[in-house]
Amino acid sequence: MNRRRFVVGRVFASAVLLVAAASLAPQRAGAQQAQPVRSPAPLVAAASDLQFALDEIVARFERDTGIAPRVTYGSSGNFTRQIEQGAPFELFLSADEAYVDRLAERRLTRDRGTLYAVGRIVLFASHGSPLRPDAEMKHLAARLASGEAGRLAIANPEHAPYGRAAEQALRSLGLWNAVQPKLLLGESVAQAAQFASSGNADGGIFAYSLALAPALRDRGAFVLLPDSLHAPLRQRMVLLQGASPAAERLYDYLRSPAGRAILRQYGFVLPED
Amino acid sequence: MTAAGLAVRLRRAAPFALDVAFEAPAGSMTALFGPSGSGKTTVLRAIAGLQAMDEAQVSCGGEAWTDTAAGLTLPPHRRPVGFVFQDYALFPHLTVREQLALSMGHRPAAERAARIDALLELVRLQELGDRRPAGLSGGQQQRAALARALARDPQVLLLDEPFAAVDWALRESLRRELVRLQRALSLTVVLVTHDFEDVAKLASHLVVIERGAVTASGSVQALTGRNAVPGVGGWREPAIALDAVVDAHLHDRQLSVIAAGTLRLEVPAIAAPVGAPVRLQVAAREVILASQRPEGLSLHNVVEAEVVAVEPASHEALRLVHLSVGDIRLLSLVTVDAQRKLALAPGKPVLALIKAVAIEAFA
Amino acid sequence: MDWTALGLSLRLGLVTVVLLLPLSFLLARWLAFGRFRGRGLVEALVALPLILPPTVVGFYLLVAFGRGSPVGAAFESLFGQPLVFSFEGLVLASLLVNLPFAVQPMQNALAAIPPNVRDAARCCGLSPLQAVRRVELPLALPGIATAAVLTFAHTLGEFGVVLMVGGSIPGETRTISIAIYDRVQAFDEPAAGSMALVLLVTAVIALGITNTLARRAAGRTGP
Repeated sequence: MNRRRFVVGRVFASAVLLVAAASLAPQRAGAQQAQPVRSPAPLVAAASDLQFALDEIVARFERDTGIAPRVTYGSSGNFTRQIEQGAPFELFLSADEAYVDRLAERRLTRDRGTLYAVGRIVLFASHGSPLRPDAEMKHLAARLASGEAGRLAIANPEHAPYGRAAEQALRSLGLWNAVQPKLLLGESVAQAAQFASSGNADGGIFAYSLALAPALRDRGAFVLLPDSLHAPLRQRMVLLQGASPAAERLYDYLRSPAGRAILRQYGFVLPED
Repeated sequence: MTAAGLAVRLRRAAPFALDVAFEAPAGSMTALFGPSGSGKTTVLRAIAGLQAMDEAQVSCGGEAWTDTAAGLTLPPHRRPVGFVFQDYALFPHLTVREQLALSMGHRPAAERAARIDALLELVRLQELGDRRPAGLSGGQQQRAALARALARDPQVLLLDEPFAAVDWALRESLRRELVRLQRALSLTVVLVTHDFEDVAKLASHLVVIERGAVTASGSVQALTGRNAVPGVGGWREPAIALDAVVDAHLHDRQLSVIAAGTLRLEVPAIAAPVGAPVRLQVAAREVILASQRPEGLSLHNVVEAEVVAVEPASHEALRLVHLSVGDIRLLSLVTVDAQRKLALAPGKPVLALIKAVAIEAFA
Repeated sequence: MDWTALGLSLRLGLVTVVLLLPLSFLLARWLAFGRFRGRGLVEALVALPLILPPTVVGFYLLVAFGRGSPVGAAFESLFGQPLVFSFEGLVLASLLVNLPFAVQPMQNALAAIPPNVRDAARCCGLSPLQAVRRVELPLALPGIATAAVLTFAHTLGEFGVVLMVGGSIPGETRTISIAIYDRVQAFDEPAAGSMALVLLVTAVIALGITNTLARRAAGRTGP
């Protein structure tokens, strides 16, 4: 009895060690020494407002070319910091061109990139919420004044361009001070949309492109906020140093009529329009 | 196996001062005796190599184990010592057999099983070899710890207060067992104890350690005979401890005759065979002195002795009289009045009267 | 259901345990038996990951091992890829973050061994190495098992540090906990829910197995 348990224990331990050892060998599809090589499945960092738009573009792209890009969504500010620290992204779609400029200054990019879209923001209220969205946020103002207002979700203005735009819009309407104690800050604009639609908040201010998505569209009511309320959300994309040919093709696809059409579908204003 | 003697010299400044030097003769049972906290256990551990000293010289049978001057300190696992800890320190996860086997690394695997059986029989644990310590009683654990120490085929056996945690009845039987083992294996044993009964009944040699220093050392018989065991007199009455032998059995009278040197004493019959060694203890207060042979008493032992010295005793009205019977020393506690009455002075011949019942015999 | 992410998490957990356990055992032993001056300081340092918020730890690790740091630069010149934002970087972060979970149970188990038992091992003729193998390890086994479980489970659930140091790169550093978060962000609740369930079941199984092992090991010191 003890003998059997002993053998089983040894076998188990050896298996565990083998798996662990195998896992540790740096595996990178096509990894080589001394030269940062990007994989055939290009790594893309995209601002969260592109969550649904880019998913669709990438699906179309994959069908057309057979290349399967790997996309990570997050806040543009965080991505910028990570790229500066060596994150192996090949294509960066920022929600704010200032971040692209910063990377370009540090010579981490191929060039200064392309303006691929201008973003818009909406005021959103989920279906059960007492808040009624209007373009001048008058109802919100009234609720703030009466003290009835619940939480309002926006992306963190520190590192999310859409959060900054939301702040600018609220300041333009003189609501910033009043709304401060009610704010829910999302780590990215997608998280802000999440908070806003969850029913735990009155609503939120986030990207038009997200509000238009099927997942969100039916969860509440929203209104497009005038772009005069905030600085333009000039969204720039750029290829990073060491980007692969596959990444280049995606970059071109995004500027092609097919890509632009999808962007337009999701409420982005395109530069030539 | 021939026994080897131990020579020890230790010195340390901190955490408390220690400065001891003594020898444990080959094949002897030497007791390190003294009050708690005097440093006895530290000395024992230093002999085993478990404790570092500022200066140390420990050698066994002429082979040096520790010599700080020469920069030599053999690690414990390279010293042929067996150590029985106060709390036995048995390995909780191993059976008795496994514990013994673990101690037999120095023997080829093929021999071990037989040796384990022999040891278990020696300590009378044959039935319990497959038990773990949690399934053993205190006395059984002690015997297991003893067996484990012996499994190493040591030259020196070290015991730290081995009977402290055991009740009186068990203590007596364990003492006998230890003596039996020592004689059977002719080991040199060093025993740390604060119980003088262990000294009186077991040890042939004694080293008294008080506050980190040796205050007396020598054979138990000699030291007790001169009432020269420091620290003990305060709470223990003067008594002698003698190495004796069973001389004869008087079956019809249910008495045994014990011989020590030229001394012959009758005691109530004991179980040991003729020729078996016996330890005798006689308390000084049990020895009556007489100038002439008494008649009509229940007394069995009337011994011719000579007064060697008269000393003050614990009480100012008492005196401790040192007597010699050949090479043997006896002690008698009498009143000052009695001393005057009998005119006791060094050189005076006198009769020592010892009741048979008052003689403690340990065999 | 992102099987790659699950596989990644399991691999990360396994590698961390296999690498961390021997290292922590040595450290735990040193802390349990050593008598040296800076012991309190070392214990405090080991416990640090317990008190610091994961994102703070992640940030410091990013700075300490990013391409701007000596370690990061050395790694990159050796292997051609940065240490951070890679599986190896996650392993390194995981080793550091799990230190208290691995060291403390083992340290407690070792310290619980009566000092006389360890001395007895030496007096039974066992060399220091043999004493560790035959006496210390078996007696500390419940503590070692606990260390393994805690490390594995904690690694599976680790989020903040992994996100900071790993960057959520699909197939490489997107562990299952990050994948769940990612699906929640994408309003894909069904996918998030099923992955969370798988993670929960895996953790429960892992805990169950190791607790049984620990109990059996402890039972071996009974009669």
